[in-house]
Amino acid sequence: MEISLNGMLAGLLLSTVLSAAGTVAYAGDTEIVIGAPISLTGPLAGDGKEQKWAYEQAVADINKAGGIMVKSAGKKLPLRLVVADDESSEGKVASALENLIKVQKVDALLSTHSGPMNIAGAIVAEKYKKFYMITTAFPFEWQPLKLKYSALFFFHPGPGAEVPFEVWDKLPADEKPKHPALITEDSPDGKGFGGAFQAAAKKYGYTFAVDDPWAIGATDYSALITKLKAADVDAMLVFGSPADTITLLRQMKELGFSVPYFHGWKGTWTGEFHEALGPDSDYIMTDGFWSASYPYKGAKELGERYEAEYKKDSVTVGAFYANAQVLAQAIEKAGSTDAAAIHDAIFGQEFKDTVVGDLKFDETGFALIPSVATQWWQGKHQLIYPDGTWTYKPAPAWDKR
Amino acid sequence: MSRTLQCIAIVVVAALALLPFVPGAVDAYYFSFLFFIFLYAIMAQSWNLVAGYGGQISLGSHAFFGLGAYTTAILWTGNYLWGSLYDKHPSIYYFDPVTMLLGGIVASLAAVIVGLPLLSKLHGDYFALGTLGFGEIVKVLFVNGGDFTGSAFGIVAPAGMFDTLRPHYWVALGLMVATALAIRALMRSRYGLALIAVRDDEMAASANGIDTLKVKVAAFAGSAFIAGVAGSLYTYYIFHVGPDSVFDLDWMLLPLMMTVVGGTGTLLGPILGALVMYAVFDLARIVVPDYHPVISGLTIILAMLFLPKGLMRSFAGRARTG
Repeated sequence: MEISLNGMLAGLLLSTVLSAAGTVAYAGDTEIVIGAPISLTGPLAGDGKEQKWAYEQAVADINKAGGIMVKSAGKKLPLRLVVADDESSEGKVASALENLIKVQKVDALLSTHSGPMNIAGAIVAEKYKKFYMITTAFPFEWQPLKLKYSALFFFHPGPGAEVPFEVWDKLPADEKPKHPALITEDSPDGKGFGGAFQAAAKKYGYTFAVDDPWAIGATDYSALITKLKAADVDAMLVFGSPADTITLLRQMKELGFSVPYFHGWKGTWTGEFHEALGPDSDYIMTDGFWSASYPYKGAKELGERYEAEYKKDSVTVGAFYANAQVLAQAIEKAGSTDAAAIHDAIFGQEFKDTVVGDLKFDETGFALIPSVATQWWQGKHQLIYPDGTWTYKPAPAWDKR
Repeated sequence: MSRTLQCIAIVVVAALALLPFVPGAVDAYYFSFLFFIFLYAIMAQSWNLVAGYGGQISLGSHAFFGLGAYTTAILWTGNYLWGSLYDKHPSIYYFDPVTMLLGGIVASLAAVIVGLPLLSKLHGDYFALGTLGFGEIVKVLFVNGGDFTGSAFGIVAPAGMFDTLRPHYWVALGLMVATALAIRALMRSRYGLALIAVRDDEMAASANGIDTLKVKVAAFAGSAFIAGVAGSLYTYYIFHVGPDSVFDLDWMLLPLMMTVVGGTGTLLGPILGALVMYAVFDLARIVVPDYHPVISGLTIILAMLFLPKGLMRSFAGRARTG
């Protein structure tokens, strides 16, 4: 029994040492610590990589300009960004925030991405009264909660889901899809978007030849592809993770099934998508929250900087960069990092000159941005909607590309 | 358990119970760190009961955890228990023992319903795969449960109830201790002997008059009850019960790993395993956020290579030979 006791004591000692080692210094009046749960691992790590880069750039730019004036400190303070991995999992966001709030002692928080993960994050932030600035969650998920210590800017799934139909409306009659299909993943975002696509299809006079939910993480889509082939599908609206969408497209190529119009949400915007598929990513339509082609202050420069570093472009980094811009401006307006003060500085207020344009937050703390549609072409996103100059190219069969 | 060990255990539990009174403790990271260790230790004990003592490898713990979590969230947000009392006392469902108990009962009822056909027909790997399938079925049912389960989005409980982590900590500590004591008492009873007999040689146990199916189903239901109550507690912590969070396979895989590392079929193994493994996972997450799965994976490989019988048994064995 003494031996078992040794085991217990060894475990206790180990965990105590490990926990102590995990304790880090925290901010005083010398800096503002901004925390961000980010998907560094897991199926959404590709998205997380762009998010992390954007937050780092925003913080670096703010610091380069001297930091932000904080009335309570009586001087300009630099920002320091600390991130914690949420493992692309809703359940792990809470642990990541506990780490950021209690170990890293952050003053305020920037969001991770995707609706359910951000809702989980917002609830933890609400519990600990830390302000959580969100982008990439649908307002229908966040607004009913009436949270005090978070604000959101994003698009509504309704107008977002109308984008492909807007694109189709402008196509010549012979290029308009006759048998479109809707494939949405079995997730809250997928369900929410699925309903919006169905409503939009009705509005624009389309009927889906196939309307199937899509299991997350499945590795064999041959049954689905056979069904799409049998239904003579000529356009696909697909909501799914990068890994799943890449697998689906690879299997479509293996089975010789191609559609002229393939529009992806969530899974097709990252650089990893193009890296994984190479030239096969050409013609793929993708969503996004931002474009370097936007005429807003700093948008072009940010896009160029991303491209110079990664040799590819991005349709998301601007939204995340703007998220950090809003939080920094709000702290400056509030004069402190107190969550209630930041709330007052954002709710019902307007933020000018962000890289997504001017953001006007309503009384619920929500600001609307448009959904973007681009087409992959030789490794770059070509802006089609809104106000893009690129002309949509329908995809030929795989052997004719 | 020797008297010395008992005394030390009492002192450690008492010290842990008094920890929230230490100034600043509640706001320190180690406080939520300990809460999660207690929670995982409860889940590990749950798995240990059916797999370690009962020899039935269940891969469905996450389903029972999720059922407990959803039961609590549904009863709470739908006010199915306390009627008008809820209006007068909005905190009535928060850490309500009846609600938590029902979380465990619903999970154990599900275990009986699924356990009877599975345990009577399937053994070993086949039973394990059957329970894994059950977990997936339950998740899909909740995703498609409409307004009742909140569909794929799940249910959000009133997060404004949260004031401090103290009650979560105490309840988790209490449940961890109660679970360990209950399993200790159970394993010393006639039922415990029957369970071990079934694990060691089911045919011989049956030949000696033990109703093996009844014994196995009872262990499965008991394990589910523990997981269900743990799920209920998690609802009070997370306030958002969604299919992707509470039916996450991690609620089965991590407790399984913790039990194996700590020592299957031992009373303190799951607690020790939860302590060590959660500490390693958490430290890796903090120190090397980009590469923590590498550290976690390496720890599991090393533990399996050098401590295949688990920490408790390895230390015991080494001391006997030393």
